[in-house]
Amino acid sequence: MIEINNIHQTFILGKKQNETHLHVLNDVSLSIKEGEIVAITGKSGSGKSTLLNIIGGFMKPTSGTVHIGNTNVTTFSEGEFADYRLQNIGFIFQNFQLIPSMTAFENIELPLVLKGLNEKERKHITEQTLQKVGLLDYKSHYPSELSGGQQQRISIARTLVMEPPIILADEPTGSLDSETEADILYLIKELNQELGITFLIITHDEEVARVATKQIHIHDGRIVKEETIQ
Amino acid sequence: MNLKDQWRFVKSNMRRSKSRIFMTVLATAMSVAFLIVLASVGFGLHSTFIQDLLEDRTVTKIEIAGLEQDGNVQPITDKEIKEIEAIDEVKAVTRQQNLYQTPNYTLDNYSSQNQTVVAHFPSEIEAGLELTEGRLPEGSHEIVVGHHFLNHLAPTDVEVDDLYDENNVIKEKFQYDENLIGKQIEMEVAQYIEGKEQKESITLTITGIVEPPSKGWMEDQKVYTTEEVLNEIESFTNTPRGEIVMPDQSQPASIPKGYDAVYGFADSMDEINNISEILKEQNYLVYSVADEIKNINLVFTIAKIGLIFIGTIAIIIASIGIYNTMTMAVTERTPDIGIMKAIGAHPKKIKQIFLLESSYIGLIGAVIGTAVAYIISILLNITLPIIIESALEEQLPEGFQFSSIPLSLILISVTICLLVTIVSGLKPAKRATQIDVLKAMRREI
Ligand SMILES: Nc1ncnc2c1ncn2[C@@H]1O[C@H](COP(=O)(O)OP(=O)(O)O)[C@@H](O)[C@H]1O
Ligand SMILES: [Mg+2]
Repeated sequence: MIEINNIHQTFILGKKQNETHLHVLNDVSLSIKEGEIVAITGKSGSGKSTLLNIIGGFMKPTSGTVHIGNTNVTTFSEGEFADYRLQNIGFIFQNFQLIPSMTAFENIELPLVLKGLNEKERKHITEQTLQKVGLLDYKSHYPSELSGGQQQRISIARTLVMEPPIILADEPTGSLDSETEADILYLIKELNQELGITFLIITHDEEVARVATKQIHIHDGRIVKEETIQ
Repeated sequence: MNLKDQWRFVKSNMRRSKSRIFMTVLATAMSVAFLIVLASVGFGLHSTFIQDLLEDRTVTKIEIAGLEQDGNVQPITDKEIKEIEAIDEVKAVTRQQNLYQTPNYTLDNYSSQNQTVVAHFPSEIEAGLELTEGRLPEGSHEIVVGHHFLNHLAPTDVEVDDLYDENNVIKEKFQYDENLIGKQIEMEVAQYIEGKEQKESITLTITGIVEPPSKGWMEDQKVYTTEEVLNEIESFTNTPRGEIVMPDQSQPASIPKGYDAVYGFADSMDEINNISEILKEQNYLVYSVADEIKNINLVFTIAKIGLIFIGTIAIIIASIGIYNTMTMAVTERTPDIGIMKAIGAHPKKIKQIFLLESSYIGLIGAVIGTAVAYIISILLNITLPIIIESALEEQLPEGFQFSSIPLSLILISVTICLLVTIVSGLKPAKRATQIDVLKAMRREI
């Protein structure tokens, strides 16, 4: 479903006279099948987020390609990628990335607004999704009025409303306590099994890797271990 | 994403920075009001001027004063009239000759002295001359008289001192109270022949009364007669136009044959302008209100453009405020924009939202500015004449309008305002689309 071929990512740091090249990803190739939960692990600074951001279209690789389905997404323009993301890729971030001036309901509704659905359809889908993440009672709350775990559920709900086939998650439980972390991971597992959503999750916690069907370990910008978990 | 949803974003953003938006709208409104009021003076003075010019004058008429030949001005004769009549757009050419003496007219016991004009009645009809009563002359000794002819017809058997009231009008009891139509009237012309004053009487029949002049204060007490009567008078006085030659005067030089007053008529002001061009090319001396209006319109149009230009500078200055406000809005919302882009908002949509916001500020500013301009304009029109009249101790002309706001001015101003605000919002909106998702989201951490 996702084919990553020979990705290199090099950042150029410093001023022109004495610039240094930082090779963050070195020849990364990876194949992800539909319905998998892939956990990417590795030390901080090993290039995990960079890989995810390339797949999600937030940055362009220095070289290499990413195919999703049969589409070469690396050639997309910013606008094309935005449209593609809206339909096909959901995101979950470590710090939730909810819009603070919007209520839980409005945050979840946002992708549907961008897609151009009418108000009635939006309300129906949004409430259904709120129900699914167990926060229907909190729909009028602002993010600041919710706990971390609740905020992350809202953020997950926001990606779910578009029913994306793929969800990318960059340390989704990184700022949660262990109890809440378990809840969120359980939810992810459930969504994967019920809806067949493919997940790519970055984590440095070995515990987290247990939800995954596949674990990929990155070290210094290279995949050093690829392992399928039963 | 439809307009309604975009509008929701705009509203929520504006709610967050109310006072800043308010100040920006205020500046925009002030600049629009300034533009409109400034230009409205041009429009007001223009219409006052034109109105003044049109007072009792028709724009479908052109005066043909003469023909320039070798540096001399020749009066218009029948030959030229044929040429002028041949021009396509010319509807009629009226021509009048003045009698060079004022004959005495007697009707029963009443008499008066009246200016007498020789008119060409067929062309007068084509030019639109209307009678209030009776018909136009058909026979050679028939005449029509001006509307105020009666007012001067005085009984001959009453002392002059008793005749008039305090307004210098003949007292009602002395006025001629019968219908003039069909009445025989004696025209008496004079001339000195061999040192002695001789008089000649010509009997005429009144067949009609001309409609009153369009302005109430104008009087028409003239007698309109025919070429045949003129010929008769000329053969008695032995001078052109019946001019009286005193015994101690020499015979006047024979004046060239021609008309004293020649007017061309057309259906519209534009046609008069065309006719004017043609006649000027052929060396005619012409004057028309239409020509004058054309020139005045040109001058005022240039003046108005100048005023609108100055006003536009004010709007451009105000647009700096809009630019600033929008830049701050984009900066403040950078994290939100980052999130929206991460979810999949197309840069175009983000641009639209910010353009909508700046256009809205411009539109509200334009609406408020227009309303304020109306109020200022009304106040100007009320107070300025009072101030001017007391300062100059002089009455302003009736219908004087210092400031006038036609719909076209509002449309122009609102369009300029919207254009300027949209342009000033373009760069901040573009900046919003260029926000880097990762950087924007990192800011929140
Ligand atoms: N836009 C960037 N410009 C320069 N260096 C970057 C940029 N993004 C990431 N890096 C660097 O790339 C390396 C990998 O970062 P990242 O992919 O975020 O690691 P991880 O997510 O595994 O902790 C880090 O050293 C980081 O400083
Ligand atoms: Mg990271």
